[in-house]
Amino acid sequence: MKSIKSHIMFILPLMAILLGIEFYLVFERTTTSYEKGLKEGYSMLVVSEKPLPLESFKALNPHIETVKALKREGIVSEIAKMSDPKSQEEILKRLPYFYNVYLDAYLKVSDLASIQHDLESDRRIKRVETFGTSYGSSYRLFSFIQFTLKLFIIFMGVVSLFLIVKQMEIWKYAHKERMQVMEIFGAPLMLRSGVLFRVAIIDAIIATLFTSALFLYVKFHWAKNSGIDMMVNHQDELFKLDDMGMLLGASLFIVIVAVYWVVFSSRGVEE
Amino acid sequence: MSNVINAQHLTLAYDNGAKEILKDINFSIKKGEFVFITGPSGSGKSTLLKALYGALKPTEGNLVVGGLDLAHSSRGKLQELRTHMGIIFQDYKLVNEWTVAKNVVLPLMIAGYSVEVQNTQAQRLLKHVKLSEHADRYPLELSGGEQQRVGVARALAKNPVVILADEPTGNLDDYSSNVIWDLMENACQQLDTTVLVVTHKIPTIFSLPYRHFIIESKGVYEVH
Repeated sequence: MKSIKSHIMFILPLMAILLGIEFYLVFERTTTSYEKGLKEGYSMLVVSEKPLPLESFKALNPHIETVKALKREGIVSEIAKMSDPKSQEEILKRLPYFYNVYLDAYLKVSDLASIQHDLESDRRIKRVETFGTSYGSSYRLFSFIQFTLKLFIIFMGVVSLFLIVKQMEIWKYAHKERMQVMEIFGAPLMLRSGVLFRVAIIDAIIATLFTSALFLYVKFHWAKNSGIDMMVNHQDELFKLDDMGMLLGASLFIVIVAVYWVVFSSRGVEE
Repeated sequence: MSNVINAQHLTLAYDNGAKEILKDINFSIKKGEFVFITGPSGSGKSTLLKALYGALKPTEGNLVVGGLDLAHSSRGKLQELRTHMGIIFQDYKLVNEWTVAKNVVLPLMIAGYSVEVQNTQAQRLLKHVKLSEHADRYPLELSGGEQQRVGVARALAKNPVVILADEPTGNLDDYSSNVIWDLMENACQQLDTTVLVVTHKIPTIFSLPYRHFIIESKGVYEVH
């Protein structure tokens, strides 16, 4: 019973770290996908006196990916419905050129201001509308969620790591007598710490299996029935099966580093 | 005959030299000699033994064991030296979760001998200390005398150059004590092993010639 408890006390914090890593990865993928959606749905409106090719825009700021010219004829027919064709032609001549400018990434509000500044530095451009207010509020909310989540994951990881090291010190104490006897008879560090490595590696594998089981449940059951479009439509993209291998690697790395740390910090039989 | 142990102006202390236990001691022990070191409680007998197996570095002077200068040796060299030593403790220092046979072959396990060799040697050694029938039992199932015989068998497992014994019969009755002394005498006589025993008193029945040192007032003096 005591032994099972000591294993659980090791496996649980390790699972917390692994879940944190997996959660972080899934969140990163989700946000990347969400950012992509936000980016695709966003454009600036640029008004220029003369027609401008894409290259002219790109030369002003590298974040500009594409531009789409708005049909001036449509605008004229809307504002001069009742006018005769000659007047319409006159309006068309005097009407500036309108462009929707699309960017290569979901940028900060300050970056938008910088793009606006770059565009306005061109004399041909009369006006730039970034729609910064609505963009800014959604960007800030998005950044806040990202920041708090990352902070929480890091905090959870650090606390769990401390718990793992603490548990390992308890193990070391439990095996201290045997390790000291082995040291007295000249056993090298790796031989006398072998049992710690063995137990830690077995627990790392168990923790990975539990975490992977949870991961598979979320991927194939929860995400599928969540009703969240992104989860349902991008299931394979967000929850990659390769992650399980990565989790095993991470858990082995963590426990091996922790065992080394605990073993090397002990002074052995020397006074 | 060459010296197996040589101490020159040796000072041993704890707490980074603040608590001096032995000061400026000199002695040497040759191969195959049987040596008793006696002295009152707290005189520094066990401290000297600790220094001899490298668990306490000399504060001053030189201590050479098996050709290795213990004041200036690395952990690796000390480990190597310990594999050529047999160490016996008053409290046995057996691994209680291991069987008697596994305890006995610990030095062979450390040296990387195969399981077959370990098993054969375990049988031979346990027969030698008359514990063959206890091979699969655990130390806490044995009496004190039997546990110490396991400790002696473990010390003899790799035919060590030196046996260091710290009060090996301190907790035992007369019968068990005599068995232990016999085993150590045999090791010294038959294997030419140097045996250094720290004890409160020298056994009354002892057939081998031996040297006797007394530790007193931080010094070591030979009794002739």
